[in-house]
Amino acid sequence: MNGLQLQKTLEEKLIILSDAAKYDVACTSSGVDRAGKEGFLGNSCAAGICHSFAADGRCISLLKILMTNHCTYDCKYCKNRRSNDIPRATFTPDEICALTVEFYKRNYIEGLFLSSGILGTPDNTMEKICEALRLLRTKYRFNGYIHVKAIPGASQELLYSAGLLADRISINMELPTMQSLSTLAPNKSMAGILRPMNQISETIADHRLAIGKDARMERAGINRHLMNSIFGPDTDRISSKKSEQEKLSLLTASNALSVPAERIDRDLKRPFAPAGQSTQMIIGASGETDLELIKTTQSLYRSFDLKRVFYSGYIPLNEDSALPSLDTPVPLLREHRLYQADWLLRFYGFHAEELLSEETPFFNDKIDPKCDWAVHHLDRFPVEVNKASYDELLRVPGIGPTGVKRIMQARRYGSVTFEMLKQMRITLKRAQYFITCNGKMLNRIPIEEKFITGQLTMLEAPERAQITESGNSMTQLNLFTDFHLTQMAAHG
Amino acid sequence: MTIYSCAPNWEAMLTCIYIARMSGIGHKNLQLMVEPLEQISFLDDYIHVEPDSALAEKVIEAITRKISPGFYASLAYCSAAYEPETLDTIYRVMLLGFAYGPQALDMLQYREVMRFQQISRRVGREICGFREFTRFHSMPGGAYIAHIEPKSRIVTALAPHFSDRMPSEHWMIADDIHREVIVHPKDSPFFLWNPTEEEFSDLLVSEAANDDYTDLWRAFFDSIAIKERANARCQRNLFPEWMRKHAVEFIH
Repeated sequence: MNGLQLQKTLEEKLIILSDAAKYDVACTSSGVDRAGKEGFLGNSCAAGICHSFAADGRCISLLKILMTNHCTYDCKYCKNRRSNDIPRATFTPDEICALTVEFYKRNYIEGLFLSSGILGTPDNTMEKICEALRLLRTKYRFNGYIHVKAIPGASQELLYSAGLLADRISINMELPTMQSLSTLAPNKSMAGILRPMNQISETIADHRLAIGKDARMERAGINRHLMNSIFGPDTDRISSKKSEQEKLSLLTASNALSVPAERIDRDLKRPFAPAGQSTQMIIGASGETDLELIKTTQSLYRSFDLKRVFYSGYIPLNEDSALPSLDTPVPLLREHRLYQADWLLRFYGFHAEELLSEETPFFNDKIDPKCDWAVHHLDRFPVEVNKASYDELLRVPGIGPTGVKRIMQARRYGSVTFEMLKQMRITLKRAQYFITCNGKMLNRIPIEEKFITGQLTMLEAPERAQITESGNSMTQLNLFTDFHLTQMAAHG
Repeated sequence: MTIYSCAPNWEAMLTCIYIARMSGIGHKNLQLMVEPLEQISFLDDYIHVEPDSALAEKVIEAITRKISPGFYASLAYCSAAYEPETLDTIYRVMLLGFAYGPQALDMLQYREVMRFQQISRRVGREICGFREFTRFHSMPGGAYIAHIEPKSRIVTALAPHFSDRMPSEHWMIADDIHREVIVHPKDSPFFLWNPTEEEFSDLLVSEAANDDYTDLWRAFFDSIAIKERANARCQRNLFPEWMRKHAVEFIH
């Protein structure tokens, strides 16, 4: 038994617990601008800062770790489920703090992302998470970014404490329907996820109102110019429909979380989750359509004012009859299309219903959702770049919010030409089918759905190939190994 | 064509702008360049300009008073760029600023304004890149030092960010290409230091000083990647290889 090792080294723990945390998608450090202060370590930048990019191309912005990968739950899709025989480890609060502070000083990370398996009960786990965060904020005087996972089922006081200590708080929805949640995560319930999500959302709104801000989170500046955006005045958010009197009474509303000790601690006088709340959904583990996913996303943005919804292409880790088989490729292209659609909701003024319908519940894998929408609405094109509104320009494939801002800026002092658009980094190879400059198109081309679809499909082919090939262990065919020519060559 | 050339620092550039503006030979007949000159033509006349703080201040005053302080800040920001036509572009944009006021920066119909904005954006991306990828090494005595090799002179633009991030630490950022060092003593303002060759070679040794946390970071960097999603091309796009020279996770 000389191989028996009771105490794991810090490096072993870090490897186990970062490996266990890597399936959590969120690694953003955005949403809050906070200046540094003397005697403390760290600041925060609203745009977020990525500090490295891992071999899978995903950004590393935060020290993404689990506090423990011991778990009493047995969610079928999860690597850390109780029934899996894997190495287990638990960080002490001081280890978490030391790693965060030392990595931060070397500019490796922008802050901490702390999640955890369920250690005994949700309350016990959340209490230990809060203990680590409290130590980091007080003893280690850390002023950088913290993203904390709220454990569904934890008490309100603990969730409130976590929100005050962290910048962003998130609860993973994992599966968008009640049915798939009960099949794949029998220990979780939709109500158990949505209730704390709503409470956190209301508490964020209360805190924002109390300091004189709008109850709703700030959104990308371009949304100010879009009247029909999903973040517009007719949002479903409960707080926005209330009168001023009712808004004031929200501070004591039963929907918000109960107040814990942190609220009256002067050293921890912090806003509640200033960077808002986010969630994540697994793609491809259950039978949801893209329409269901994107509609759920839209309602999460509108009802709970979530700052982000992340998608995680399902990676087969466990063998189970309720799950796709182990050789199922990761649905990278589907995940990519959903992110494109998510961007269309948040920055381009699109609604979920415009992108997909009951008849076509999945995104076109040949062309991106914006191009797909444009070729089906050719009656709206071509638009005149020198006269079109923000809304019209943003719906042109190849033109994004930055491009629109540059066009609007240049239009104030003269007309815009194709040459200028090229220098503004507008993707003319996509946009040319949908725009005119001073009444003329770039080339004399037919505005026909089939022709334009064919052109756009050809343009996207290399990008599509890159996404589908990456990670799916596709390799170039080798004449000798794949066709067994080595033996033939040896035999002469 | 008369070419006015100067050393690659802001004071010399402003002096060069002053001399060119007052030369009276016509803006179309002159060009401004930063030394070293890459290609010298026998058809052009070359005039070297030495930095003069009095003349430079006159230019600053004229720009801030007649155009705007914001306009001056935009010109100074762009001056960090390595592109050979940077100084000439700044000069042409300044002339447009005198003609039209601060809104000249939005007049993308002028080629020089468009080019100016392109260069400024590229400098911005480079600053942003090094804000992300600068790596500090722990030194004996509790100080931290980082080495970078940027294309543009951006070390002074990086300093405010790190000063805000780590106000109560001793740290230095050394630009190995342009031989400029930012020094930040604990709880004090930072300053720019131009070390001698000997002093700089002493600084270079510091990078070998790796500690346990460097190894822990490498272990984290390897374990956080999902092998089923490996995508080296995406990684290269987002973290270009020329920026990785001092990123410890790529140095084994």
